[in-house]
Amino acid sequence: MAPTLLRSSSLRSFRRMLAAAVVWGGLLVFTSARSEVAAPVGMTFIPAGTYEPQLRSKDEPDKVPVEAFWLDARPVTNAEFLEFVRTHPQWQRSKVSALFADRGYLADWAGDLELGEAASAAAPVVRVSWFAARAFAQAEGKRLPTTAEWERAAAAGFTQPDGASEAGFSAYVLSWLSRPGIARLPAAGSGRPNVFGARDLHGLVWEWVDDFNTAMTTGESRADTGLERNLFCGAGAAGARNLTDYPAFMRAGLRSSVRANYCVPNLGFRCAQDLAPASENSP
Amino acid sequence: MKTLLALICVSSVLGAIAAEKSEIPSCCAPAPAALGFKAACCVEEKPAAPLTDKSLYQLNSAWTNDAGGSVALTTLRGRPVLIAMFFASCEYACPVLVNDLKRLEAALPEDVRGNVQLVLVTFDTKRDTPPALRAFRERMELGPQWTLLTSTPSAVQELAMLLGVKFKQDSRGQFAHSNLITVLNAEGEIVHQHAGLQGDVSTAAKVVAQLPR
Repeated sequence: MAPTLLRSSSLRSFRRMLAAAVVWGGLLVFTSARSEVAAPVGMTFIPAGTYEPQLRSKDEPDKVPVEAFWLDARPVTNAEFLEFVRTHPQWQRSKVSALFADRGYLADWAGDLELGEAASAAAPVVRVSWFAARAFAQAEGKRLPTTAEWERAAAAGFTQPDGASEAGFSAYVLSWLSRPGIARLPAAGSGRPNVFGARDLHGLVWEWVDDFNTAMTTGESRADTGLERNLFCGAGAAGARNLTDYPAFMRAGLRSSVRANYCVPNLGFRCAQDLAPASENSP
Repeated sequence: MKTLLALICVSSVLGAIAAEKSEIPSCCAPAPAALGFKAACCVEEKPAAPLTDKSLYQLNSAWTNDAGGSVALTTLRGRPVLIAMFFASCEYACPVLVNDLKRLEAALPEDVRGNVQLVLVTFDTKRDTPPALRAFRERMELGPQWTLLTSTPSAVQELAMLLGVKFKQDSRGQFAHSNLITVLNAEGEIVHQHAGLQGDVSTAAKVVAQLPR
């Protein structure tokens, strides 16, 4: 850093350079105090916090603690997924097992190794199954975030750690749900970052979570009897924490209605990672 | 022709070396895949047909049974399977679920009954060690046709996903879970599911009885 500074500012006064160096140094100290280990490329630090389940059984606590973790700053793109299927041919559209991905798998791509008109390289990959998303994450040495982790990150506003207390944030999240789906998705990562630096948790696509099958409500109240009756004495809605948090309801509904081989338009994913043991002392 | 002969020689030699190394008493030990064929003596052995697109046995995870032995799901291949997920310390649903499986087994025609495998897979990968599963087997008086399995949380989750079983551990360590019995045919494909507890098992029994043999 110092030689660049020297070269670029050698024409200017020595004093200004010195001032700049002091500022840089201060900044370095500040950032290293915040987190001792640099974030993995493309990932952002989500500090420890809590998750308040939208639907819960009577035995479940109101707040579930969530440990700090790394989260992809934006959803995985078509280009990144293309690279993955190139190196993992069993996940190419014509080769994938029906067990792990239904017929909608990557249906908007032009071919096994061709994105085509409908799927731009920078747009988030959608129409991927949970199995496919998981395989991608594993290949990257990552994993899918849990429901608690995802919701913890998504509860943050643009300027406040608690989005619910930020003016306009809830309305922003809601506004996406009221917009009709668009044919061509914009680039992943073009949304405004939240206070943790994560973009597009709202407003672009729905995202897979690792434990989506823990959402216990089902579409058919007759199926799996015993289960729902035990979990939700009465109606599922009676267990809802906050009836005004409609988007959280929508996400819970989606999670309880999909199966792991479903490939749905507008359902993509991003990866998460545990903090390395060395960085456990991070804030 | 010369090249072909040379390739055959190389492959059988390599195959022999591999067989020696892996100490498997078989000449079919993995030959280098690049050569594209196996040692000549393999031809006589009946090669296993590839798994179907819907076979659950495509999951290549490693499992452990209640005797502590390691098991691949493909070892279940060849005979129908009645499979359910449970955990041994479950006080309410699981004993009923196991009893439902017993009722289903009892409802089968006698000649079919002897051919069916019953499989229980635990959610509780932490507490349900092989000895814990063995204790469950004894407590529930499960015969030799029963297989009790555990694995990593990730493998258990994948199987649950394929079976459509939902489960969630609560703060006390108990699991809330679907009560679901799944019928797999000899190829490991789902042919029927029976949901709920203490229901009428006759439909499931009919499906199992009608599976091709």
